[in-house]
Amino acid sequence: MAPPWHRWVDHTAEVQLQVRAGSLAGLLAEAGRALGALLLRGHAAEPSGEPKTIEVSSVDREALLVDWLNEIIFRAEVERWIAVEFEVLEASESHLKASARGALVDDPPALVKAATFHGLAVEEREGGLQAEVIFDV
Amino acid sequence: MSRKNRKQTPRTLPRPQAPKAPPPSYPSVRLNPNLVEVPVTARDDMRVPARVWADEELWKQISRDRTLHQLINVSTLPGIAGTAQAMPDAHEGYGFPVGGVAAFRARDGVISPGGVGYDINCGVRLLASEVTADELGHSRLEAIVHDLSRAIPSGMGRGSHLHFTDGDFDRVLAEGCTYLAERGLATAEDLDSIEAHGSLPAADPRAVSERAKQRGGGQLGSIGSGNHFVEVQRVETLFDLAAAEALGLRAGQVVILVHTGSRGLGHQVCTDYVRAMDAVMARHEIHLPDRELACAPFESPEGQKYFGAMCAAANFAFSNRQAITYAMREVFQRALGDHGRLHLVYDVAHNMAKLERHGDEDLVVHRKGATRAFGPSHPETPARYKGIGQPVLIPGSMGTASYALVGTDEGFNLSFGSTCHGAGRAMSRTAAKKVQSGAEVRKALEDRGIVVRCASAGELAEEAPHAYKDVDRVVDVVHHAGLARKVARLVPLGVIKG
Repeated sequence: MAPPWHRWVDHTAEVQLQVRAGSLAGLLAEAGRALGALLLRGHAAEPSGEPKTIEVSSVDREALLVDWLNEIIFRAEVERWIAVEFEVLEASESHLKASARGALVDDPPALVKAATFHGLAVEEREGGLQAEVIFDV
Repeated sequence: MSRKNRKQTPRTLPRPQAPKAPPPSYPSVRLNPNLVEVPVTARDDMRVPARVWADEELWKQISRDRTLHQLINVSTLPGIAGTAQAMPDAHEGYGFPVGGVAAFRARDGVISPGGVGYDINCGVRLLASEVTADELGHSRLEAIVHDLSRAIPSGMGRGSHLHFTDGDFDRVLAEGCTYLAERGLATAEDLDSIEAHGSLPAADPRAVSERAKQRGGGQLGSIGSGNHFVEVQRVETLFDLAAAEALGLRAGQVVILVHTGSRGLGHQVCTDYVRAMDAVMARHEIHLPDRELACAPFESPEGQKYFGAMCAAANFAFSNRQAITYAMREVFQRALGDHGRLHLVYDVAHNMAKLERHGDEDLVVHRKGATRAFGPSHPETPARYKGIGQPVLIPGSMGTASYALVGTDEGFNLSFGSTCHGAGRAMSRTAAKKVQSGAEVRKALEDRGIVVRCASAGELAEEAPHAYKDVDRVVDVVHHAGLARKVARLVPLGVIKG
């Protein structure tokens, strides 16, 4: 199974993420790592403190990906805590429970308003799953 | 990230590593020098034609990305009336294109959170000072811009100097600027110069989630990041002396333009309701080409609940710009004493869904990156602008010109009383940074005598003027098309960015 990876695709106004992993759990964790880096805007970050549990439920796996990312955005803005390391504890097509470690920031993150449903796809690819999601920034 | 090492690394977006697939092409016909139409037969699922207000050059730019594809997706939504439209500053967004206008029949059409966008009631406010740029002088300008940057919090989550109890906060959502006037933060004259008096009566704070209130709770009176800014400007050119006089504008005058919206509160309202509508569309037998177009019948419980929440977020945004105005007035009066008064010219939204009467029909007019532009005889045009037209405020990209225009009666029929909202992005953020670094952008602005206060070099590079379309060309299209009439061109003296 190939290791998970992500890359950024050019977009006129927003930010588009492409992510691939061998499983849904791996895909969600990799997307979370990518978002953490985006929220930090290139800053180095060492996670500190106790891990937090994040749990989301959705109507399908595409919505699960969007809801998961929006939960990370919400916590970054309200708690000033940017999740960067993830351990997926439970994952199904409509439910995710993960343990996350993150970095506290005194200046809340710039940029990301929301993960959107636009052009959203989670598709079977050789050896795993690939997803695309656009962030409003 | 530890707090101490936060400033040691660059603030930039990730570099894209993959090219994007080219946009699909559609047949089109040019109806006049400023308008192109895609016929309703261009795609099987279109319900109405799609129209783009653009001259040849802007049409070329708009055709490069997926703007047209997204506009055609909008034309498939239930209950859409007339035509789906894009303004000359339109560009690819998510779901609806940015610069899009779509009107849906209230009786059998839909309302879509994605048709308003995440920054509900993002909008612009223009204030006129009592001094000219020459009277102010560069050193006092520099001091004022500096003080403004300290008085107005910026950045994504940076908070407000104002403190409200939970009950107060619900009154901001329910009553908007009317409540701020009660608190001494707005005058009666201010209320007369804000779209809908800064208070949408359909607002329902109970429809706004606790998460949204948490996210926006400390942000009243702050700019935010991205393309939001406060600019101190000079009135450079007057195109219509009578209209300029009515707006209180004169050559050389110092004016201040504020561009911001509903901050984290609006972002979360949109997030909540895209999710909620995505889950109920099957029940309403709505099938869409893109999930971000998630919508519900306007008259359904889901549609009405979103409308109430959106109006509450819009009241928050009007109040946000009013709170910023209060802080700016304190700065100007400290610096200039009796000559430091700031008069509100107008405040208008460019991300909003409004229930409006058009002909014999009540329509829910979605403007996403499009400005309402009502003419001289429209009942909602403020009394002081009757016979002139509602002021339309078009911010250019950072460091370029902005415009004050007025709406026309003709435009009400042509574009549901709508016009452009800015220059419109032409280049991705990453591409913009390849052209010029943040330091180079800052130096280029300062070389022109513009005072710049922006904490993030990355954001300066991403919002550089070359990343946007030519605002003069965009405004010329809406002027010549009759959607709005040019009154004044404004050029920057000082820029404050999140």
